[in-house]
Amino acid sequence: MADEELSPTLPHRRDAIKSSVHNIAANRRRQHAIAVGKERREALIRTKRLCRDSLADDSEVPLEGHMIIDEEKAVLDSKTSRTVEELKSAMTYQGKGAIQKKVEILRALRRLLSQSEVPPIKAALQAGAVPALVQCLSFGSTDEQLLEAAWCLTNIAAGEPEETKSLMPALPLLIAHIGEKSATAVAEQCAWALGNVAGEGEELRNILLAQGALLPLARLMLSNKGSPTRTAAWALSNLIKGPDSRAANELIRIDGVLDSITQHLQKADDELATEVAWVVVYLSALSEKAISLLVKSDAAQLLVARLVASESLQLLIPVLRSLGNLVAGSSYMIDSVLMSGHNITDQLLSGLIKCLKSEHRVLKKEAAWALSNIAAGTCEHKKLIFSSEATSLLMHLLSSAPFDIRKEAAYTIGNICVTTEKDAEQPCIIVTHLVSLVNKGCLPGFINLVRSADLESARLGLQFLELVMRGMPNGEGPKLVEREDGIDAMERFQFHENEEMRNMANGLVDKYFGEDYGLDS
Amino acid sequence: MAMEITQILLAAQSQDGQIRSSAEGNLKQFQEQSLPHFLLALSIELSNDQKPPESRRLAGIVLKNSLDAKDSIRKENLSQQWISVDPAIKFQIKESLLRTLGSSVSEARRTSSQVIAKVAAIEIPRREWQELIGNLLNNMTQQDAPSLKQATLEALGYVCEEIAPEDLEQDQVNAVLTAVVQGMSQMEHSFEVRLAAVKALYNALDFAQTNFQNELERNYIMKIVCETAVSKELEIRQAALECLVSIASTYYEILEAYMQSLFNLTASAVRGDEEPVALQAIEFWSTICDEEIAIQDEFEESSNGSSCPNFHFVEKALPLLVPMLLETLLKQEEEQDQDDGIWNLSMAGGTCLGLVARTVGDGVVPLVMPFVEGNIAKTDWRSREAATFAFGSILEGPSVEKLAPLVQAGLDFLLNAMRDQNTHVKDTTAWTIGRIFELLHSPISSYPVITSENLPRIMSVLLDSSRDAPNVSEKVCGAIYFLAQGYEAPGSTSSLLTPYLGDLISALLYSADRADTNNSRLRASSYETLNEVVRCSNVPETINIIAQLLLEILKRLGQTLELQIVSSDDREKQSDLQALLCGALQVIIQKLSSSNAKSIILQSADQMMAVLLQVFACHSSSVHEEAMLAIGSLAYATGSEFEKYMPEFYKYLEMGLQNFEEYHVCSISVGVVGDICRALDKNVLQFCDGIMSALLKDLSNPMLNRAVKPPIFSCFGDIALAIGELFQKYVPYVIPMLQGAAELCSHLDDSDEDMLDYGDQLRRCIFEAYSGILQGFKGSKAELMMPYASHLLQFTEAVFRDKNRDEGVTRAAIAAMGDLANTLGPNTKVLFKDCTFHVDFLVECLQSEDDQLKETATWTQGMISQVLVS
Repeated sequence: MADEELSPTLPHRRDAIKSSVHNIAANRRRQHAIAVGKERREALIRTKRLCRDSLADDSEVPLEGHMIIDEEKAVLDSKTSRTVEELKSAMTYQGKGAIQKKVEILRALRRLLSQSEVPPIKAALQAGAVPALVQCLSFGSTDEQLLEAAWCLTNIAAGEPEETKSLMPALPLLIAHIGEKSATAVAEQCAWALGNVAGEGEELRNILLAQGALLPLARLMLSNKGSPTRTAAWALSNLIKGPDSRAANELIRIDGVLDSITQHLQKADDELATEVAWVVVYLSALSEKAISLLVKSDAAQLLVARLVASESLQLLIPVLRSLGNLVAGSSYMIDSVLMSGHNITDQLLSGLIKCLKSEHRVLKKEAAWALSNIAAGTCEHKKLIFSSEATSLLMHLLSSAPFDIRKEAAYTIGNICVTTEKDAEQPCIIVTHLVSLVNKGCLPGFINLVRSADLESARLGLQFLELVMRGMPNGEGPKLVEREDGIDAMERFQFHENEEMRNMANGLVDKYFGEDYGLDS
Repeated sequence: MAMEITQILLAAQSQDGQIRSSAEGNLKQFQEQSLPHFLLALSIELSNDQKPPESRRLAGIVLKNSLDAKDSIRKENLSQQWISVDPAIKFQIKESLLRTLGSSVSEARRTSSQVIAKVAAIEIPRREWQELIGNLLNNMTQQDAPSLKQATLEALGYVCEEIAPEDLEQDQVNAVLTAVVQGMSQMEHSFEVRLAAVKALYNALDFAQTNFQNELERNYIMKIVCETAVSKELEIRQAALECLVSIASTYYEILEAYMQSLFNLTASAVRGDEEPVALQAIEFWSTICDEEIAIQDEFEESSNGSSCPNFHFVEKALPLLVPMLLETLLKQEEEQDQDDGIWNLSMAGGTCLGLVARTVGDGVVPLVMPFVEGNIAKTDWRSREAATFAFGSILEGPSVEKLAPLVQAGLDFLLNAMRDQNTHVKDTTAWTIGRIFELLHSPISSYPVITSENLPRIMSVLLDSSRDAPNVSEKVCGAIYFLAQGYEAPGSTSSLLTPYLGDLISALLYSADRADTNNSRLRASSYETLNEVVRCSNVPETINIIAQLLLEILKRLGQTLELQIVSSDDREKQSDLQALLCGALQVIIQKLSSSNAKSIILQSADQMMAVLLQVFACHSSSVHEEAMLAIGSLAYATGSEFEKYMPEFYKYLEMGLQNFEEYHVCSISVGVVGDICRALDKNVLQFCDGIMSALLKDLSNPMLNRAVKPPIFSCFGDIALAIGELFQKYVPYVIPMLQGAAELCSHLDDSDEDMLDYGDQLRRCIFEAYSGILQGFKGSKAELMMPYASHLLQFTEAVFRDKNRDEGVTRAAIAAMGDLANTLGPNTKVLFKDCTFHVDFLVECLQSEDDQLKETATWTQGMISQVLVS
């Protein structure tokens, strides 16, 4: 109990300059050991922060036959790694001219990444380009630096899927820099990079959406800044591609988006209109809401006007597809917009005819598809198409076009020949149309479809044969079919694994070529 | 009523252990039954001159220990106990204490004055016992009461030591200073009274801010102190100089007018007075150097200059000061190198010269070099040693440009001097070579001290001299230590040392084993130097050697288990040696795990673990701190493999976590939990219940040193990161702890530097805990943290508002805010919208020079902006 003495405190004495090394050494060593633990903790949590999903890597498949360019590639690769290293060390340098130095290195890196056919993306990634570039995107960096860094990232994002994925740590910053406060060029470059990322696949799209890329991109599209607006529209179209429809639904609900779309469709040059039309393509493909808003807006009229006026394949494709989507997706479009006698209807038809005549396969197919949807409309629509130049074009396509176009043409022709009345068990046949078309020689085309391995086409063919056999006056139908080897085509389904098709084909053969067939002739 | 406790107090000091412990039991019982009466009885015992001195002495000690303790929590409890004692009894106790100041027994007087100070420490800050100062000053007016006056002055001094300047009114301060200065100056007072007065002044100086601002009062105080510094009694002169040292540090800015006389006073003390006085006179100049170095540092760090003007006293006094200090260097004691803690004129003078060099830089060199050159070749060893010591002392401060030519020219001489006949000379020479390496050796320097040309000779001299006398060998270790460290500089390679690595290791292992000294310094320095050599070595080229060393260290560690232990001294020696070897093991593991040589660790992991477990096992009462550190490195290096060791190791980990008495052990064990979490990841789960309950228990243990608590919070983060959503079940326990600690941070005493540091640590670690939990819950269990988000943001805001926080806190805070946004996502939109401080906070961080902070802030900004646009 008397252990603790009463002793006045001695004045503090300083340490002698000449002291033994073990005192400081042991302390330093222990502190170092503890500091290492702290560093490891920080490193661990930093990786957790920056990586939402583990970055898969090393999926390289050695390609043969690339020996010649290997050497060049090696030079380019080593140059790239060196540049990335320079960038990393420049990041820690704070002195005079540091900012300019960084920009120069970034520019060099960006050029390397856009240089050859096979840009040295992999080398850049292995050298640790992404973290360094992410750091370059720090807020408060100069616009020049932001631009170059985003450009580098854009180039990397244009690479292989795994390379695109490596951009993940950069996404939050790229998104942040498309905000209103950013310089236009920076915003555009970031949008570009994001568009590349979004184009890579659904997984990355979902990540971008989760990180809030949609709204700022939409805002950028709303702006009338020319090129950045276009890039934003392009990136948006990549972003809302789906297949999940949530993004498209979200986009159309953003204030001003619809107005902006119509405005751009009306006023923009072909290039911007193209990108905006692609946005409309995905909106109209994925979102009911979007369709209902679009058809009630001026968009349809504007799209039709573009279809008629433009000669740009790039623009015509999305315009055509959008129109097809709208027609297919909304009865309002058929019933209230494309009414017979409306100017728009005639315009659309002439636009579609233009496309059917075009050299481009895609245009022909998209136009045929759009027509098929219009042909599914009212009798007025069917008549309109039937009496237009489209019919002969479609007949021609049915006999000679590539398979996918042929199918769309067949749908259209089929639709022209029937009306779907309520409660009717079978479609009613518009005999005049059917007779005229059969007489013009469309039957062989459909029998070819019956022979097709594609079930949908085969069904379409069978359905048309049924129309012919049922609808041609004077029981001429079965004979025509027999003449074109249609029985043989149908009998292929006798033991077909698809029950519906088997029953349908067998039913037709039994009905029209059964025991009674030929007795009365 | 006062119980008679004399007999018990005497019995408690009996030689007979049984009697003693029974008496101690009685005292404890009395204390627990009625603390107020127990304290009263003690104070009466102390005050009664009829009682034996032994019982009075113990009564005083027990009384004092009932009022104060070193541990801050215990101290707070004791204060609360005292406060709750019945005021009437407290009054009686205090009266009794004051009465004792007049006792005829000097020990009782002194004890009483100390106990009075302890009571004052509790009461005066609470604005109680305001009459104390008056009562004490009243004693000073008594006629012919020298012992009462002495005791009263001592009491005044102790009171001033215990309380803070703001606890006294200015008129009280004035009265105390007047009484004290009168006590110093009046020659009719006895030696004891005057000495007590000077010592009281020493403690009262902090209270004299206002008085030192007033020129008249200041002049008066300075005059009296200077007069007292030339009193005829040595102890009074020494105490007066201690006052001057304190004035130099507290009132540097008012010294200018007195500097001439102070120089004369101190110079004559250094030259002619006895050692204790001369040492204080040197200390005066060392203190002036401290002040001016601090002012210069502050000036360099801040853009708006320093808060205090620099009078450049050292520079102005330089031509006289340096020769004075050089003279002291010649006053070495024989055998001084045998004692690490030696403090004499030569040592104090060299230390002061080192500070002068740091204060004035190049200016010191031309004043010192003639002394070095004139003495270094003399036949008298004192001259040679002093010359070398002078040279070694001025190596820090002057520019490399100034020093490098001198060192380049002199190094060879110094290497030759390692063969001097005199051990002191060799000791100081080796130390000087070490200083050269420490301060000037860097391969990337434009003035390289060590080149590939002179390295072979340097190595050969160092290796030879490592076998010299133990004290010389130990300084050689220092030189090797800094030689190796210099090669670690960034951008350089240590491969130049690689050819010598084997010889260095052998030499160091040899000196660690030397039997010709019972001084443990050499062994410790050898092993620590070995560690540094390993740490700075260049892998992979040295991997084989290090792998061999690993086996050797393991062998030695195994041998410590065979040592015969008969006494506690043996036990301590065994433990010390194990500490050094475990330290080496830890460094080797760390070295190998940061290279591509992990396979070596994996090969030997079983063996290492077996030995370390045996080291733990041979200390039944506590867990070996260094072994624990080594385990941490091993866990990290072996990663998931470490799981197989856990069943056996776990009990020691738990022991370490529960060892709140030895808080270093506890703290290191907490760190090891972090290493294990990172090693085992999800597989640590099976041990988490035990670990978490030990950690939670630690946190609520008032006896645990507070330094351990912040690391425990960080450790929660480590565990949460490892086990992710499974941390859920600990949330109800952990979050209240975090919130409580956050609350505590806002109440810390911000005038106390230590407390500020502690607050910073605490806040950083709270944020680390939140970060770990948030990141761990990301995805699946994010919503669990939603109820706590708002509190965390409030805490973050409070931290942001505190402009004194350090960078570590800032970084942790900004990161945790990002984690909040990252994990909870759109749910936090409203929170972030409602508080706008995060914008300013981010701006501040983004403007920082610290890249890591900027990076984190950028990330956080990204996370928050996502939330805000969501």
